[in-house]
Amino acid sequence: MGKVVIKNLKKSFGDLEVLKDINLEVCEREVICIIGASGSGKSTLLRCINALEDASSGTVEVDGHDITGAHADINKYRQDIGMVFQQFNLFPHMTVLQNISFAPISLKLKTKEEAQAKAHELLKRVDLEEKANVYPEQLSGGQQQRVAIARALAMEPDVMLFDEPTSALDPEMVGEVLAVMKKLANEGMTMIVVTHEMGFAKEVADRVIFIDEGYIVEQGPPSEIFGNPKNERTINFLNKVL
Amino acid sequence: MSIPELIIQTWPRLLAGLGLTIQLTIISLIIGGILGLVFGLLSVSKKKAMRAIAVVYVDIVRGTPLIVQAFFIYFGIPAATGIRLDPNLAGIIALSLNAGGYLAEIFRGGIESISKGQMEAARSLGLPYGMAMRKVILPQAVRTMTPALINQCIITLKDTSILSVIGIQELTQTGRLIIANNYQAFQMWTIIAAMYFIIIMILSKISKRIERRMSYGKSSN
Repeated sequence: MGKVVIKNLKKSFGDLEVLKDINLEVCEREVICIIGASGSGKSTLLRCINALEDASSGTVEVDGHDITGAHADINKYRQDIGMVFQQFNLFPHMTVLQNISFAPISLKLKTKEEAQAKAHELLKRVDLEEKANVYPEQLSGGQQQRVAIARALAMEPDVMLFDEPTSALDPEMVGEVLAVMKKLANEGMTMIVVTHEMGFAKEVADRVIFIDEGYIVEQGPPSEIFGNPKNERTINFLNKVL
Repeated sequence: MSIPELIIQTWPRLLAGLGLTIQLTIISLIIGGILGLVFGLLSVSKKKAMRAIAVVYVDIVRGTPLIVQAFFIYFGIPAATGIRLDPNLAGIIALSLNAGGYLAEIFRGGIESISKGQMEAARSLGLPYGMAMRKVILPQAVRTMTPALINQCIITLKDTSILSVIGIQELTQTGRLIIANNYQAFQMWTIIAAMYFIIIMILSKISKRIERRMSYGKSSN
């Protein structure tokens, strides 16, 4: 069974229907890249997967738990769903180490010592060991985003969601963040990535999903989507971005 | 009589008045702070009914003068219920409710000034709303609120003088009583004004120092 199973998902903001009928199954260890124009609904879809947006109808199951249900213990399920934001959203009043160890400690999943040991290990993985005791404002955008990835990984999630993780970065910093994500993908993390980095999608994704006007218009392996797109709208979009 | 002579003659009473002024200020700010936090949190709630409660409270406080609030609590409520309040207690209730209303707005502004992404990041890690508010949003909000909070402390300190109208012997009322005996209005009001001024200047200096220390990661540099 799929790690993430989305059935007939619809989402409206007032009169505006952003997601019209989304069906999607993501398998364990799969890396999915969601592409599409601004306003196509791709970020909204991602945010429905950890209930930052409530679905208007339909279901989203993660690990067999329906997170859209009225009785869903959303705080518990979110612990297994890591999220990385476009704007990093690090906590400015905490050091890098505190940013990473804070949630596991506060939620009493780990002792302070365990959580900090894990945080140091994660910082090593994102190549920022020496930044443990600085504050986020002293880091570059690329470094902040790598800390944000480490912070999400500190919860030991089953799935990682990335919401345009490189869109707010200066061009020279995109590479270092994508490298961390690629490493994560190679280690077998289940990942759903909303991105404008077509190169990354081509190279790392197992499956690319093209969303337009609230529908999944086309999906398939990157070779197919980029090499031989079938749908008119996919072709139009790719012509603009490639 | 000269001002130094008057000070020598009246300082025990003046100090007692000042002491009560400071006491009223501190107690009202503590209670008002709790009220402000509670109603501030209500006013950023997702639930409309919660927000409505906060709006009503803040509007009543802002829409009526403190002197009327004090009269209402000290004279109005006993007239309706027969329960007579000690003037100091009535004063503290009026001043706390008043400060609470303004502090609620300060808390609301502080919380709303923190980017939405902070709450989302905290929630996405699995933190419940209350914990995210307490550990992520409020610590940041309080930093941005600091100047407004200190301003409210100064306002509340000065507002204690209004409580002289219900007979509380804080600094202003003490001055009036002394003048009723010695008729030295010019000198006495000069002394009283200077006492308020000095206390508030000290508060302002402290607040400047706190504000300077409050930027992230810079305190250690």
